[in-house]
Amino acid sequence: MTEYALTLSDVTGRGLGPASLALLPGEIAGLVGPAGAGKTTLLRVAAGASRPRTGEVRVWGMRVTNPAARQLVGYASDNPAFPRALTVQEVLMYYARLHGAVSNERAPRGLVREALEIAGLTAAAELRVEGLGRADLHRLSLAQAAMGGRRVLLLDETLSGLDAFARRDLRSRIARLAAEGVAVLITSRDPAALERLAARVLVMREGRIVRAGPLATLLGERVLEVILDAPPPEPPPGFRITEAGLEAPLAGRTVEAALALCRAHRLPVRASRVRVKSLEEIVLETHDRHKEDLHA
Amino acid sequence: MRFLRCVHAEFLLVSPRLTRTRLGISLLALGATLVWLSARGFDALTVTLQAGALGAILGAAAIVGNEEDRAALTTALTHPTTPLAVATGRWLAIVLPASVLTMACTTALGWHPGVALAGVMTAAAVGSCAMAVVLPLGSSAALALFLFMAVAGTVAPERLIDLARPGVLRLTAASAMELGPALWHYRDIVTGDLGAIIHAGAWNGLGILIASAFIARRHR
Repeated sequence: MTEYALTLSDVTGRGLGPASLALLPGEIAGLVGPAGAGKTTLLRVAAGASRPRTGEVRVWGMRVTNPAARQLVGYASDNPAFPRALTVQEVLMYYARLHGAVSNERAPRGLVREALEIAGLTAAAELRVEGLGRADLHRLSLAQAAMGGRRVLLLDETLSGLDAFARRDLRSRIARLAAEGVAVLITSRDPAALERLAARVLVMREGRIVRAGPLATLLGERVLEVILDAPPPEPPPGFRITEAGLEAPLAGRTVEAALALCRAHRLPVRASRVRVKSLEEIVLETHDRHKEDLHA
Repeated sequence: MRFLRCVHAEFLLVSPRLTRTRLGISLLALGATLVWLSARGFDALTVTLQAGALGAILGAAAIVGNEEDRAALTTALTHPTTPLAVATGRWLAIVLPASVLTMACTTALGWHPGVALAGVMTAAAVGSCAMAVVLPLGSSAALALFLFMAVAGTVAPERLIDLARPGVLRLTAASAMELGPALWHYRDIVTGDLGAIIHAGAWNGLGILIASAFIARRHR
């Protein structure tokens, strides 16, 4: 029997769900969707910070309300807030003492050193929180979440609003944690941020997971773009009109067959190319399709 | 034991705040002002009680008044601690500097153990009440409480009879002054008045419980 690191079974409440998901140890799953889709609520429910109306959350088979389960889950908020007058090291020492209160196995100093290394904050250990930039605040948030050998990390917008360098660095640190067996559920309102990190993507809308699948499968969807000399009055079946001409997903058909269809409709084809869909496109399409379904 | 360790972790946050925020300098200024006032007619007991009460309110503003500090409580609860441990630790962090200020003022004006004890108990009761008020309402509530305690804190409810006609307003004000932590009440701690000691003790527990309920609610 597969042992999941985190399972959410039909959770509802606070505009959520029903939503279900299961996360394997070492897996990185990305939760994407527009603002207000319910990503943060889902994460808070998974962290045990919000109680669902129905359904249950389990961490390594234990209910998340169980103190032993709570110790395995780390949560990094989308808006990291720490006491401004303290230094990075003092903030982490505070959390380390809380962990030390439960178990005498690890000394707080050791936990702090490890957390600083995990998040790449060793050089900033003596800096005060009030002087930290956005990237370092996110690192500090990651450090406290990962502290004490947490086995499940719930990261809310940890990669959002960062420059490319900080994003790459944090991505590699999260991937390293996952390689050690930590299960990661990370949200982002910008799907591109997760394209190089998440192995699986879950698209949320209005509190529900409306699409889920391995990133490789989702990104494997190829699109044929056709540039026309003149805009068509009506697109052929399966195509949609774009600024330059037409485009259509190549799901199960060849490029030749798709182009033949254009010619059969007497369309003035100037050029064509095949490209791979970006995660952003997939998320937007899912979003639009779900909206149309609701209207229908 | 685990509870006490969590309380200790909270309490240790006080020393960086004393040296790096306005808390340390504000307490020094308050102490100096009160000692100066004692040379101009304030009795030693009033000065000591005011030092405890006003010092505790300043502490509450510095330790739980900032929005970042209050937001950080939510993160703290994702670690192995409890709202009650957080509230108790913060209360200790508020009360300790105010108690030191009280002791310093008592020493400056001539040491008297009863006066010092009354000052510390006042700091504990007012600190607990201030924490319960400042946590949900922020620093502006601390300012209002500070002004109230500085101006009306020493007024006994009986004196309202001469100030206003009988009515709901007077009754409400008198009840608030009777039930809330008040310096006129805690003066009697010096003489070992059991009612005053129980009043202060009850406020310690009540304030911590209200604050921990608020912390738990905020986390949800």
